[in-house]
Amino acid sequence: MKVNQELCVGCGKCLPFCPQGAIHVENRKAFIDQDACVECGICVRQIECPRKAFYEPPEVNEWPRSVRKVFGDPTEKHQSTGVRGRGTEEVKTNDVTGRVKRGEIGFALEFGRPSIGTKVKEVEVVTIPLVEKGVVLEPCNPLTSLLDETGRVRDDVREEKILSAIVEFAVPFERFEEIAALVYDAAKHCKNTVFSWGLVVRYEEDGTIAAVPVLEKLGIHIPKNAKVNVGLGKPFCNE
Amino acid sequence: MSHSLHRRGTAESLSHDYILLVTAAAGINAAGSKDKLRRVLDVVWEVGPVNTGSNEVGTILSGVSIEEIKAGFTEIPRVRCVFDSADKMREVIRRLLEMDLGISVTVSGPRLEIEKICAEFGIKPHSVNLSLDIWGKKNELPEEEILEFITMCGHGMISRSLVVDCIEKVKAGRLTPEQAAVRMGSPCVCGFYNPTRAIPMLQKYVPAEKH
Ligand code: SF4
Ligand code: SF4
Repeated sequence: MKVNQELCVGCGKCLPFCPQGAIHVENRKAFIDQDACVECGICVRQIECPRKAFYEPPEVNEWPRSVRKVFGDPTEKHQSTGVRGRGTEEVKTNDVTGRVKRGEIGFALEFGRPSIGTKVKEVEVVTIPLVEKGVVLEPCNPLTSLLDETGRVRDDVREEKILSAIVEFAVPFERFEEIAALVYDAAKHCKNTVFSWGLVVRYEEDGTIAAVPVLEKLGIHIPKNAKVNVGLGKPFCNE
Repeated sequence: MSHSLHRRGTAESLSHDYILLVTAAAGINAAGSKDKLRRVLDVVWEVGPVNTGSNEVGTILSGVSIEEIKAGFTEIPRVRCVFDSADKMREVIRRLLEMDLGISVTVSGPRLEIEKICAEFGIKPHSVNLSLDIWGKKNELPEEEILEFITMCGHGMISRSLVVDCIEKVKAGRLTPEQAAVRMGSPCVCGFYNPTRAIPMLQKYVPAEKH
């Protein structure tokens, strides 16, 4: 984003809104650090700027900078990666899509979340070891299209700063312990950002969750909050 | 993506935070489902969500009307609402069961309570997305009490600096907790932010003489 210097009066009311601290005021004018900006669009949408001084210059929609907007602005409709948004519908429609079936387990590792942001290349701490282990990353997730066949981030986008991106994949349940341990280990090498870890799994017939004892064995804490697909979708997928 | 997941807070605070997601599936049951989803929004609106909205038009918290949200539905329509109690979510599930529309229903919140509600209606939940916390460079994160606010917007729209600014203004008596809760939630575009839960979280910053 950019600030129209003619309009800006340097009041600083916009400063708290930027999630990346990318705006600063100097000599009574606001400026945006273009390296730090993730093109989330909050500064344009917020209503406290008395002069409506923020605007989106055309280069925001040019490759590779357009990647920032895809992974940062939830109102974004432009499809520069070929896939809308930051991930798939994962558990939300799993009762009809069968994306994650019984006997499988889905992983969603959201780099940059919460609050920190990330360069695209940071996902490699986990994508490269996963691909080495033969894990296939979700093709409908926009991050996957930015990786080569080894799990490395493509040169043209690796330095782009984004709000967050999700490494998404499913593995057979018998590989769960091995892959969870791999992620656990990769977290130690994640030195420049954070990731939020989600797991998608089907309930067993008796209403239990098979992943829980494995996580307990690995010493991974399971917070109380979760997202439950209640199972009212039709046609119902019972795979 | 899972932007309703990874909310943090005390058990008491999270017991006032349930998110409903009704989602049509592309290529499966999305075709012709706009009217169904409009009916869903009408029916769950009567139960009293504390926030709702859509990426397309914005949230009721920012002044958008239910009619505008319904008019803005895309070809893959979705309803997202936040409720401030398990009882309201129970009532929502009862109504959705009665409607029997065949559209996927997902509830984000305290898992055991959601499973209990399902059991009460004889529903076997299909699948679950477990939140397994934050990993990596955790020393970069804001303090836990700030994180509890910012994780109410999984898209990352609520900045730590806005939360801090709102808290400072409450401390200085320049905003009431109610006003700060609305201002803080204004960047959330999809309507997942829960202002009713934020108010008591802000109350503790009110200067002593105002109590
Ligand atoms: S687009 Fe987002 S990151 Fe960039 S200056 Fe505006 S608020 Fe900050
Ligand atoms: S709020 Fe608007 S006028 Fe004030 S400093 Fe920011 S850009 Fe300039």
